[in-house]
Amino acid sequence: MPENKAESKEIVREEVAYEPYTIAMGPQHPATHGVLKLDLELDGETILNCKPTVGFLHRGVEKLAENLSYAQTLPLTDRLDYIASMANNVAYSIAVEKLLGIEVPMRAKYIRTIVMEMARLTGHLLWLATHALDIGAMTVFLYCFRERENLLDMFEEICGARLTTSYTCVGGVRQDVTGHFLEALHAFTDDFPSKIAEYETLIDKNRIWLKRTQGVGIVSAKDAVSLGLTGPTLRGSGVDYDVRKHMPYDAYPYVDFEVPIGSKGDVYDRYRCRMEEMHQSNSIIRQCIEALPTGPIRSPDAPDIVMPYGEQKRVAADATFASGVIKLMKDNEHYIDGDVYVSAEVPKGELGFYFVSDGRGVPYRMHIRSPSYIHIGALPFLCKGQMVADVIAIIGSVDVVLGECDR
Amino acid sequence: MDRFGIIFRASPRQSDAMIVAGTVTQKMAPVVRRVYDQMPEPRYVIAMGSCACSGGVFKTYHTVQGVDEFLPVDVYVPGCPPRPEALLEGFIQLQQKMMKEEMRWSRWR
Amino acid sequence: MEPLEIANRLKERFPEQVLEVTECRDQVGIIVKKDRIVEMLRWLHDDPSMQLDHLADLCGVDYLGKKDVRFEVVYNLYSIPLRHRIRIRAQVPEDDCQIESVTSIWMGADWHERECFDLFGITFNNHPDMRRVLLPEDWEGYPLRKDYPLDGGGKNWRGYDEVLEKSKRLRKFDFYGQYQDPTKSTGLEEDARK
Repeated sequence: MPENKAESKEIVREEVAYEPYTIAMGPQHPATHGVLKLDLELDGETILNCKPTVGFLHRGVEKLAENLSYAQTLPLTDRLDYIASMANNVAYSIAVEKLLGIEVPMRAKYIRTIVMEMARLTGHLLWLATHALDIGAMTVFLYCFRERENLLDMFEEICGARLTTSYTCVGGVRQDVTGHFLEALHAFTDDFPSKIAEYETLIDKNRIWLKRTQGVGIVSAKDAVSLGLTGPTLRGSGVDYDVRKHMPYDAYPYVDFEVPIGSKGDVYDRYRCRMEEMHQSNSIIRQCIEALPTGPIRSPDAPDIVMPYGEQKRVAADATFASGVIKLMKDNEHYIDGDVYVSAEVPKGELGFYFVSDGRGVPYRMHIRSPSYIHIGALPFLCKGQMVADVIAIIGSVDVVLGECDR
Repeated sequence: MDRFGIIFRASPRQSDAMIVAGTVTQKMAPVVRRVYDQMPEPRYVIAMGSCACSGGVFKTYHTVQGVDEFLPVDVYVPGCPPRPEALLEGFIQLQQKMMKEEMRWSRWR
Repeated sequence: MEPLEIANRLKERFPEQVLEVTECRDQVGIIVKKDRIVEMLRWLHDDPSMQLDHLADLCGVDYLGKKDVRFEVVYNLYSIPLRHRIRIRAQVPEDDCQIESVTSIWMGADWHERECFDLFGITFNNHPDMRRVLLPEDWEGYPLRKDYPLDGGGKNWRGYDEVLEKSKRLRKFDFYGQYQDPTKSTGLEEDARK
């Protein structure tokens, strides 16, 4: 008995081997923005490697566009980044107009700039709402949605749809804006800066917010350019690249605005960039409303779907869908052989369209360069060495939408 | 939505109805089916949006032409996207359908 | 720098690699052979007068029947400090469907190349992780090729066929008519009419 007692006093030490284990933040998760599957290889709480799986929303838009005319592909581009769909429409329209060599009237350019900046506001408001909600600030979520409702109501007034608008068309815009819309928008821009100030008082100097976002997900300028980041994600690292300034389109050469640039490249800097961008968008909208010229809203050589009537109806009825529509389109010397790449600055980054055309009314190849796809590809680099909770903050700051990523 | 008696739950094991919103692709179909299988009976499915009802605009190699290929759907809410009022109408119709059911889940309901 | 000047400088430096210089609506594209593509792109990236440091886009195009060489990998480059752009189109023949990866120059080319492989079947050598990204890993065929039908030709993915089979099997346990006959009325229309 006494021997047992002595033996039981010995402390046994064993080596416990640590192995990294993998957990999956699966496609059904409230914090990932859409159907994104992240395989995180963890060592305790630190991430060794992160493998995103995308493709759960891959609808084959690029292949579908090879069978549809230029005017028919426009509603498909709405559904890419369905949060700011006006911006996608404008990006597509400028790309096709460059390919076909169509000149857009000035009034249409100003209207497109206005709706693109409104789309930027809706995109950034939703970003702020979800990002703040992920980190824990729930009031900001509700406040942002209140503002967003106003913007969506204004979208509905000009084109009838809140979310998937197909408002811009190749060659201009579809319908003119009403005076009521301009008044409502002017009133909105009058008190929007105070609303942004409201959000900032809630989170800007909040210690929890600062601790969760400063020093997290740092990316140097050289790495950011090499990774292909664009938009506020890149500008947070100090690189001055904004498509609106480098390759101006629409009415951007005629308005006065600044591009906010960060310095450190962490989540907090990107947040500040986007908040400043909202101020700048507000000012751009005001300038455009004040300077809106009169005139036509659509170029006369724009390709469009012609409603068949009479003899054309018979032709359309017994032709196959795509070829029938092409026959009906106005005979256009603009359809040339060649390829163009045009990009625009959407809220998420640089959305580019690469078209290869072979002279028909249907693109031979359409490639969409979507910012969200590249940003998710950069996630393994951004998340290395961070904690699991930081991954949520990083995904929020990088602002991905899976519809755009998967096309 | 609380005034209609609808609460949003994050887990399929605690819910009665599942809304399938947006396009369902072939890669996502096993996941959706697995979530449906995790729900305890009685369970209902609402297909929201044209893409979930019938594939929508996307008749391509990867899109499922309607979620009812592999799930029993109770209410279809078309639209792209459906208006919020349309979705609430869908919920109310589902509630009416539930009231009218006989002997669907067992001999007593 | 004007795009044509960039094209001429590239032609001087790599004369036997450059095949053709095309121009369309003020944008210049250079068609090159794929053999020394990494060297060419690295020179374009590092040379102080070019500094093409932003890889805007990398995609594949299938010219089935239109050209002798079937595939092309297109690199759209932009220079942020010097503000000029150029397009490099590398020809990839069908029977030797592979090209060197440029991930050593741009880290972001990684996912671009995975997508190109996924949709066209062009393999990229020395790529860190060459597997499908958008489609499921064991998908058969390369969708964006011109001989692949738009709706998949009626064939489904193996995993989706399993889901369909599973749902058919589970329907056997529908003892009380859970899968209702769509031709029977639910009784709601009569209520609405009243």
